Amino acid sequence: MLSCMEMCVQLFLSVFKDLVGSEVTVELKDDLAVRGTLHAVDQFLNFKLVNVRVVDPDKHPHMFSVQNCFIRGSAVRYVQLPPNEVDVELLQDATRREARSS
Amino acid sequence: MASGLRIVTERVGDGAGQPVLDPDNGEELMHVQPGVSIVLGNRPPESPGTLYISTKQVVWLSDTDRAKGYAVDFVSLSLHAVSRDPDAYHSPCIYTQIETGAEELESEDSDSESDNILNLSKITEMRLVPSDPNQLDTLFAIFCECAELNPDPIEEGEDGHNWVFSADQLEDDGGEDDDSEWAIPENSSHSIGSNGNHDLAHSVVQLHINDQRFEDAEEMEQDDKNGHH
Repeated sequence: MLSCMEMCVQLFLSVFKDLVGSEVTVELKDDLAVRGTLHAVDQFLNFKLVNVRVVDPDKHPHMFSVQNCFIRGSAVRYVQLPPNEVDVELLQDATRREARSS
Repeated sequence: MASGLRIVTERVGDGAGQPVLDPDNGEELMHVQPGVSIVLGNRPPESPGTLYISTKQVVWLSDTDRAKGYAVDFVSLSLHAVSRDPDAYHSPCIYTQIETGAEELESEDSDSESDNILNLSKITEMRLVPSDPNQLDTLFAIFCECAELNPDPIEEGEDGHNWVFSADQLEDDGGEDDDSEWAIPENSSHSIGSNGNHDLAHSVVQLHINDQRFEDAEEMEQDDKNGHH
């Protein structure tokens, strides 16, 4: 039987697997937000994005637009998903179940 | 946990030398890239130097000053990218962000620290500028590989590293042994994402069935349904 943490990770991994190819915005714990096309996601919820640009260049003047970017899973605070491409109800249901089981 | 950038003063070997690694703990050298300058935060580039990428860390050693070197563990690199945008930086480089673990960081533009006193714990950005920009994609790929070798200690890797590049790549969810305990889901045609595979719905129903505490949850759901009617 999987630990609760492993189940949560699998849940999110499934969500992100479905979103490969979509535009996402990843907000890191240091407040940087980058937007790009989700190229790949792995079991540690590391993200590879392509065609990346910084969401708020005024806030982050040193920042960049890059072709490829690798984001460590542990550095991520939020991932903004395209609402049209996500079944929000089903996702909420799934996360509610996660919350109850923990 | 993330320690940030640190100074390296020890080397092995003659000449410019090499970094001290920890092979007893499995650390191996993955790549050596000569002709790399390092840019820490807003500071001017430091060169010439050689970049050493091991399975655990990135080390830059000055070619001319044996006492000068910097290192950072992969667990501390929250992001790395190939930067070719001249507006971001005048030279193509590998751009990295370093997680220092400090909650409230002072602005990097703050001049409260003299330029001569380098406070490495405040450095959150590092650029590695190779003299040969054609090496950038190789360096990026090696950084990715090594980052994947250094997940956070809490979560342990399972069978091996699996990147998913398309929704067609289906993985087994959970252990093979557990499959026999799970019933076949009713609504397996629903999926959360637009690429429409069954993984998530399957996982959700598996989660539901596998936990006995959901007996109570079901009663609550019924109450909810009644309430909402």
